[in-house]
Amino acid sequence: MAEAFIAEGAKVVVNGRGEEKGQQCLAEMNAGDNAAFYAGDATSQSDTEGLVDFAVERYGQLDIMCLNSGGVKNTAPVFQMTDEEWLLEVDWNLNHVFWGMRKALQHMIPRETGRILVTSSVEGKLGKPGIPGYTATKHAVNGLVKAAAHEVGTLGITVNAILPGLIETDIVRETGPESAIAMGLGTYENLIEAFSGGSAIKRPNKVEEVAAVAVLLASKAGRNITGSMFPVDGGTSPY
Amino acid sequence: MGDLDGRVACITGGTRGIGRATAEAFLREGAQVVINGRSAEKGQQALDEMNGGDNVHFIAGDIKKREDCEALIQGTVDKYGKIDILFANAGGASDHAPVAALTDEAMQDSLTWNFWHTFWTMRAALNHMIPQESGRIICNSSVEGKMGKPGLSIYVVAKHAINGLVKSAAQEVGTLGITVNAVCPGAIETDVMKAEGPGAAESMGITYEELLNMFTEESAIKRLNEVEDVAEVNVLLASEAGAGITGSLISIDGGTSPY
Repeated sequence: MAEAFIAEGAKVVVNGRGEEKGQQCLAEMNAGDNAAFYAGDATSQSDTEGLVDFAVERYGQLDIMCLNSGGVKNTAPVFQMTDEEWLLEVDWNLNHVFWGMRKALQHMIPRETGRILVTSSVEGKLGKPGIPGYTATKHAVNGLVKAAAHEVGTLGITVNAILPGLIETDIVRETGPESAIAMGLGTYENLIEAFSGGSAIKRPNKVEEVAAVAVLLASKAGRNITGSMFPVDGGTSPY
Repeated sequence: MGDLDGRVACITGGTRGIGRATAEAFLREGAQVVINGRSAEKGQQALDEMNGGDNVHFIAGDIKKREDCEALIQGTVDKYGKIDILFANAGGASDHAPVAALTDEAMQDSLTWNFWHTFWTMRAALNHMIPQESGRIICNSSVEGKMGKPGLSIYVVAKHAINGLVKSAAQEVGTLGITVNAVCPGAIETDVMKAEGPGAAESMGITYEELLNMFTEESAIKRLNEVEDVAEVNVLLASEAGAGITGSLISIDGGTSPY
């Protein structure tokens, strides 16, 4: 998304926990002053709010907020789910989105313009065994998106969710093997196959496919699309 | 460099409204485009206004007839050598009435105009796209393809049927590089809306202005959608970036539909 936004002329703040990874990312994107990094943990309220403040201080305004971070760590079926994992997933996937959205809206509402994009998931509509926290929190952010969209719909601010199918991101490669066990699938390869098999295209999605939708929703062309659950899932979700 | 360089698109309808805006957006992105309508005169006027030279072509035909639908697809292939993108766009409904008072003719006409035309053109287009293992089919559905409104059953039924067709077809050709999607716009004041809206409002026991207000009030943006909203989503779905989106019912309705 960051690269696609930069390609379209935006200035972009990216976020992550590791300062080193952040600097590496900036070096690879090679966007000069048009990209900046803010080190912060998405599961922390102060870091998430700090990210919004940083973007406003750095570039003078905030037009587009992508609440993209999310995932699972040690997921398990409900009967084996630990409180610790459950609360982590709620912070990471739901509270992070709420904290970032609230703070961003406080900047956008007075200016009567803005775009909020939430990276939800096909699991925001469907359910799979073994990832109850992910499924529940992604469903929850979809509800948040719908409610917020109606709150700010006449203020030139749109709020949308993008619902990708499985994508082999770094985080999926890291946590996928454990998730596969929690889901009763055994191996990472079986996990990829289980998700792809539910699609029409029988392959995982790609990050570029999500980025293109993000650009559309963030652009002027997206001004009249709000409260929508935009699928990028190769035909997995039936609605 | 456009997102649709080298692609050939066919749009049912297309002289006005959403089809026309999509044709212009496709042209801008480098595609060759066939538009369609019943009237050769309106077709020529659209071509003159679009000023796309040999990259845009009009084929006259009544999409309520199967042979015209099939001739439109074949005509596209004859003109530009292939078909990469079908936008089954034409649609509307006349003689709305509550179900208890609905005529067979009104239901049949809406199904032909919206659903059968989509099926006929989709089938014909797939027969070209499957051998080339590449293609994009976009169907113009509606927010009424997801929701229902009293007095508008003929339109609601036909648009729901299109959404079902899209889901099935997407699963059939998903591994062949062909995507099949529906766009579901909220109310847009196109020429068809201006022509058929008053009758639809009457079926609902309200005025045309009240009908438009009902649509906008249900949305989050409290205004109607615009043809360009749909055109730009169509570009995305038709482009390489849309390769991973299929079987989806994309809401372009200002926040009206809850899913």
